[in-house]
Amino acid sequence: MEEKTKMPAEMWRPIDRKITENEKTDRKKRCHWSDGWASFKRARLAMAGLLFASFLVLTAFLGPLFFEASMSDQNLKLASIPPVLEIYSLGQDNFAYVHREYKLIQVTEKGQILGRFKPEEDNLKDRFRTYSIEGVDVKLDYSPAGEGKDKRYILTVGQREIFPIEKVYNKTYLFGTDNFGRDLFIRVIYGARISLSIAFAATIVNLFIGVFYGGISGLAGGRMDEMMMRFVDMASAIPMILYVILLTLAIGSGTGSIVLAMGMVYWVHMARIVRGQVLSIKKKDYVSAARISGAGWWRIMTKHLIPNTMGPIIVAMAATIPGAIFTEAFLSFIGLGVPAPQASWGTLVNDALYGIGLYGYQLFFPSAAICLTMLAFNFISDGARDAMDPTSRI
Amino acid sequence: MGRYIAGRIASMIIAVFLITTITFFLLHALPSGPFSSDRPVPESVIEALNEKYKLNDPVLKQYADYMKGIISFDLGPSYRKTGVRVNEIIRESFPISARVGGVSIIAVILLGIPMGVLSAVKKDMWQDRTIMLISAIGITVPSFIAAIAFIYIFSSRLGWFPSYGMYSWKHMVGPVVALSGFSIAFVARLTRASMIEVLQQDYIRTAKANGLSRASIIYKHALKNALAPVLSYLAPMAATILTGSFVVERIFAISGMGKYFVESVLNRDYTVIMGVTVFYAVLLVAFALFADIIHAFLNPRVKLGE
Repeated sequence: MEEKTKMPAEMWRPIDRKITENEKTDRKKRCHWSDGWASFKRARLAMAGLLFASFLVLTAFLGPLFFEASMSDQNLKLASIPPVLEIYSLGQDNFAYVHREYKLIQVTEKGQILGRFKPEEDNLKDRFRTYSIEGVDVKLDYSPAGEGKDKRYILTVGQREIFPIEKVYNKTYLFGTDNFGRDLFIRVIYGARISLSIAFAATIVNLFIGVFYGGISGLAGGRMDEMMMRFVDMASAIPMILYVILLTLAIGSGTGSIVLAMGMVYWVHMARIVRGQVLSIKKKDYVSAARISGAGWWRIMTKHLIPNTMGPIIVAMAATIPGAIFTEAFLSFIGLGVPAPQASWGTLVNDALYGIGLYGYQLFFPSAAICLTMLAFNFISDGARDAMDPTSRI
Repeated sequence: MGRYIAGRIASMIIAVFLITTITFFLLHALPSGPFSSDRPVPESVIEALNEKYKLNDPVLKQYADYMKGIISFDLGPSYRKTGVRVNEIIRESFPISARVGGVSIIAVILLGIPMGVLSAVKKDMWQDRTIMLISAIGITVPSFIAAIAFIYIFSSRLGWFPSYGMYSWKHMVGPVVALSGFSIAFVARLTRASMIEVLQQDYIRTAKANGLSRASIIYKHALKNALAPVLSYLAPMAATILTGSFVVERIFAISGMGKYFVESVLNRDYTVIMGVTVFYAVLLVAFALFADIIHAFLNPRVKLGE
């Protein structure tokens, strides 16, 4: 036996480097986060949502830099002009659009709005208006309106009735104008700014309150935990919207108070999630190790517990954003939102409600904006949940 | 069982009491009272009104009076509607809200749960994908936009359904669609998730191995267990829907509780706000208890009172 184990000295030499290279793992190391990100990237809907949301945020915050007009510039003469115009040719390069309120709006062939023609005679009794445009007599007779016929008005040049030549897109006001003649496109973009800032800010307020409340409750345990959770139960048994409304009434309406009110009300869900996670994590060995090494509760919480709860926190946060957008739109809709002339999407929807039969487009654009944003954030939150926790899928 | 329910009712009363207290003091902490308005009203009138409704009493005395009232089911007079008591407002408006709400809840249960089950059973097939797409839209469109879209398309353009009031079944369609849309979608997703999880469990495999029919496995064994999370969502939802959604009632001009609530908040009619909140809180805790009892019946492993 001894003979065999003896090796001659010349056999002791370093092994070939190549052999150790073979043992190496070629694949890049992936931590929990990059794993989640990879899974998120595979979810096509979630990625689409993220792209849309990023685009929206960029437009909302950088977009206004490119426009001259502001959201509060009014031009009552050009109120409620739709995004698609049926134009008439009046000869001599003059084109006109007949407004729903039976006024002639001067446009170009391409669809740029130039202004309103001034009528020569405005006969309210027999319901017609006459214009003299560069020597051409134009008569807009709207007496058929309101008689239930398809044709609501007759436009004549000289004695000859004329018909629309084509439909063009409104080049001056992409989404048309609202009932005060404000550019709806710009208002929707500014609305995005307000709606999104409120949603994000409320989510962050809710994040801080929820994480610390839940964390402290979970870490403290025992009676303290029980009392804190009873309070959460109470808070969640109250109709949330009631408290948002009461708080906005108490501290006055405005961006700040909406953010504060929503943050103060929506933290309950976050607190429950964090507390549940903390309860299960705090028994783990590394937390005990930290405690033995003399770490205080604050250090344990911020260095160990919260970082390890980040997954569920992000999922809950992603789910809060669409809720916050909805609540903000809802509050603005019932008139407790940001004060005029500022306008969030909810305000725009509410403003458009009065002209629902005539000016549907005023309703369409802000509503579409709300729905698309909610859809995008819902996709993101679904994707985030699936990425972080593959077992619970809704 | 009886003891458990008695205990639960006791804790319900405490919860309602606390909610009432919090709301009461929040309202009284508001900087302006119910009679301060934009119109110039002489001081003496406001003083007289405050005196009449005992708003000059110390807050604690007002609180004690209010609580005494609640015990005898008296919610006090409305501050803004002269001569109308809050009890009358609730008695008149709740049945209207409850009728629309009841139909909506039935719609949620009859559409949401079967959609979720179908989606889970046909996971990743076209049925599942269609239902999930529809429900994604459902949870995306806020109720007020659904309501407006309904009015625009079906009332204004097509003229199929009336857009306001509550006089026949036709008036019901719009509010029900707007009220139940989100919940149908959400319940479908919840049912699907929970059903998929249950279908992967061992006892389902055992049932399959024992040769039980597919229908019996899905409806008798899986669904019973999968309904637990759905139930705990349905309970608060039912209370919210029954008391009327603020916006939907406002848009469809239905004089239900939601409409009165928003109205009372906007003109600071304290007693109406309080009354509606207390009523809502009672409904909420009652439904939560109801859901727990049904839950115990569906799943014998859940023992009430443990």
